[in-house]
Amino acid sequence: MRRRASLILLALAVFFTALSPLLRWYAFPRLAKIPANQYQDMVLEAKNATLLDYGTMQAKTVPKVTIVQTLKGNVEAAKKIDKTAGRDVVVWDGLSYVQGPDGKMVSSIPERYIFDAHTQDPVHATGEMVDGDPVKRDGIEFKWPFLTQKRDYEYFDAQTRTTNPIHYKGTQNFRGVKVYYFEQTIPWTKVPFPKTMPVKGITPESVAKTGTTRWYTTVRKFWVEPVTGAPVYGEELHKEELRGGTLLGGRDKVTAFAGDVKMREDYIKHTVALVKSNRTLVLLMVSYLPWGFLTLGLLLLALSLYLEARSRRPGDPAPTEVQEPEPVTA
Amino acid sequence: MRALIAAATGLVLAFALVLTVTAMGSPMGKTSPKPLLTTVPAHP
Repeated sequence: MRRRASLILLALAVFFTALSPLLRWYAFPRLAKIPANQYQDMVLEAKNATLLDYGTMQAKTVPKVTIVQTLKGNVEAAKKIDKTAGRDVVVWDGLSYVQGPDGKMVSSIPERYIFDAHTQDPVHATGEMVDGDPVKRDGIEFKWPFLTQKRDYEYFDAQTRTTNPIHYKGTQNFRGVKVYYFEQTIPWTKVPFPKTMPVKGITPESVAKTGTTRWYTTVRKFWVEPVTGAPVYGEELHKEELRGGTLLGGRDKVTAFAGDVKMREDYIKHTVALVKSNRTLVLLMVSYLPWGFLTLGLLLLALSLYLEARSRRPGDPAPTEVQEPEPVTA
Repeated sequence: MRALIAAATGLVLAFALVLTVTAMGSPMGKTSPKPLLTTVPAHP
């Protein structure tokens, strides 16, 4: 009986011990992924920002500029690209909608971001764009990979349509969450005008005819929770200028927008809570379960060996043999 | 010999479980009907 129990325990010990590395290094990279149908919105605000009044072409300080950013997973598009790319992809259709203090639209920039659901590496396919312009991303955008490392990453900038390094600047604690702080500076760069302009009748083409150009610089800051790779907080020191041309009435340049763009407080709380919950799920697969299974496996192995040893203990009375009575001969 | 069979059984079961779960994957679901926002939401 002890022998049979020790064999069952041995099988279980091997089962759990083998499960530990299999879960961490085989199952996790294949199971952890961004859902193709994810939908999320984010509100950012720039208080006491400088904004260009296109009516007077004068920059003025306004109490608040709001940026509403929506990301919507396009499942149908992802399925089509899945087949050609041969891997799980996520297609995010996004919109960055900027609203002035009067509630009127300042800019509205759509984009499509296609990436590997597991690694977050960009995937190139037809439809990848920013504001209708085809682009080729060579880095991440919005989200870091699972198990983010303490190193620089390549990050795509939608305004310049270029990919540049975003630098790891240290580990911090953000509202009780351990985060990696990343920073990227985009120097003054000439960028295209948005396709949708805030004043009716003005188009990027009509502005281009005046010779006026649009320039942009930003310091982008992200606080990223490393287990999930999700930013829990973000900030941008964003500046835009219009330079040259007849539109400015003889001036060299005028500020189109300048502000310190920060996540709205309620969205910060929501994001921190969401990331904490998702962090537990990822840790379950990369840490809690693998270590738990390994410990359980070793305990079961020890128990199995103990039972086996007891069944073979020399001090135990040997099983009594039943002797058949010898035939008696007279 | 019986110990070897028991260990092999445990190993095969572990591989079978992990391969089955990863092969099944997760459903992709459907695209959300919610629109890309052009108004400021009151809350998340």
